[in-house]
Amino acid sequence: MVYSSKFKDHLAHPRNAGELPDANAVGDQQNPVCGDRLRLSLIVKNDRIETARYLAYGCPPTLVCGSVLTELVSGKTIREARKITKTEVLDAVGGLPSRKHHAAALAVETLNTALDNGAKT
Amino acid sequence: MTASHRIYLDHSATTPVDPRVAAAMARALTENYGNPSSVHGFGQQARAAVDRARREVAALIGAKPNEIVFTSGGTEANNLAIRGLCEAAADYGRHIVTSAIEHPSVRGVCDALEKRGWEITRLPVYDNGIVRLEDVNAAIRPDTVLVTLMWANNEIGTIQPIREVGDLIRERRGAQGGQRHLWFHTDAVQAAGRLSLNVDEVGCDLLSMSAHKLYAPKGIGALYVRRGVRLAVQNVGGHQERERRAGTENVPAIVAFGEAAKLAREEMYERVAHDSALRDRFESRVKQLIGDVVMNGDREHRLSHLSNISFRFIEGEGLLINLDLEGVAVSTGSACSSGTLEPSPVIRALGVSDEVARGSIRFSFGKDNTEADVDYVVDVLSRAVERLRALSPLSVAGH
Repeated sequence: MVYSSKFKDHLAHPRNAGELPDANAVGDQQNPVCGDRLRLSLIVKNDRIETARYLAYGCPPTLVCGSVLTELVSGKTIREARKITKTEVLDAVGGLPSRKHHAAALAVETLNTALDNGAKT
Repeated sequence: MTASHRIYLDHSATTPVDPRVAAAMARALTENYGNPSSVHGFGQQARAAVDRARREVAALIGAKPNEIVFTSGGTEANNLAIRGLCEAAADYGRHIVTSAIEHPSVRGVCDALEKRGWEITRLPVYDNGIVRLEDVNAAIRPDTVLVTLMWANNEIGTIQPIREVGDLIRERRGAQGGQRHLWFHTDAVQAAGRLSLNVDEVGCDLLSMSAHKLYAPKGIGALYVRRGVRLAVQNVGGHQERERRAGTENVPAIVAFGEAAKLAREEMYERVAHDSALRDRFESRVKQLIGDVVMNGDREHRLSHLSNISFRFIEGEGLLINLDLEGVAVSTGSACSSGTLEPSPVIRALGVSDEVARGSIRFSFGKDNTEADVDYVVDVLSRAVERLRALSPLSVAGH
């Protein structure tokens, strides 16, 4: 498979990798079929995402979608972040073959789980 | 590729063409353009070149030249061997014994025959990646017509007990009321040129080879067919290859295969010594520098050029692409498609967890690799593993 240069750049230089000890919104999701996992940790202040970190296990699209997601959400309000779609994630990674689209779906699910969990606290 | 290095560690997938092989092939392309079936001088010159190559390929495995059938490669050789033998022997029985770690071309033919009513016994390999002789013995039934086992595995390099299986089959045939209609095929695509093979010593009836694993071009292979073994012909419409495979011979590729077989035979011991020294250097450095690794397959009975390692907590393809960005070519059996996890069936057959199977990478060395290559690869590998582990929720949770 030929991946875009943007994709390869994120794979070789992951953005915002890790966890946040003082996160107030954390989401974990796992693809039940292939076992890919994503964890998103956010610091939300005044309804705005200040900092985002991620951890990922799985095929390269999952790792890259996690990295891209942290860039997409940083600085956004909760309302804006909720509007992020699978298509936006796919565009941000420079496109993926259709059989790898589940990686972008996992990213959006993880984001929404984190925001849901954040709203509860 | 923008990386400053280009290091090829995927010799089990294919090898670069040796310049001496390329030169022989180039001469055949321009000088031996006659059709070997033609009676005139041009044809006979091409025929002589094909015959010379056939002698070299036969010599690599201790066969007679007229027992060699040239094919388009290993996959066709496996298809011709299994399908050809089974279709010819169907009146005697419809049961095949094979293993759980065969190449897809063997697995695929067996699966196709199963759909047509054949019964297939797929033997396990246990944690060392090797079939047990007692399992082979127990699996052979009165209606078994074929035992097909690879000589050496393409992903983990484990060497199967082919000689012992050959002895067993000879015994079963020769016993009182013995099973005369039992044949033995081995897929030696990874073994040819890397191990000393002799068809008479192991007593196999059919043996598959592929040229591009021994520094020759793609598109050419061979099937050894022991004299007297009948095959249902799969390619009909010509008298070539003693009526066993119709179609005008690919003369330049056959000449290249012959040259490569000759060089493999002459240089086998130095190549094996070279490859195993690099492989051992690589493995000892990996163990020194990178923790949480699993070396897959038997440590002793394995090909000298291959190392299959699982890096815990990360997935193989991410590592492969990271290495590719640094100019290093390796391969992984792990593949995730349509959201379905498909770790390598070979690594899974070792009984390891999904996570270990997904983190497996095959490094396969060749005659042109150097110690400096190994050191560079270990350096970029350890950094890539560290980078990916820093991302991994499995690694962070466990440490």
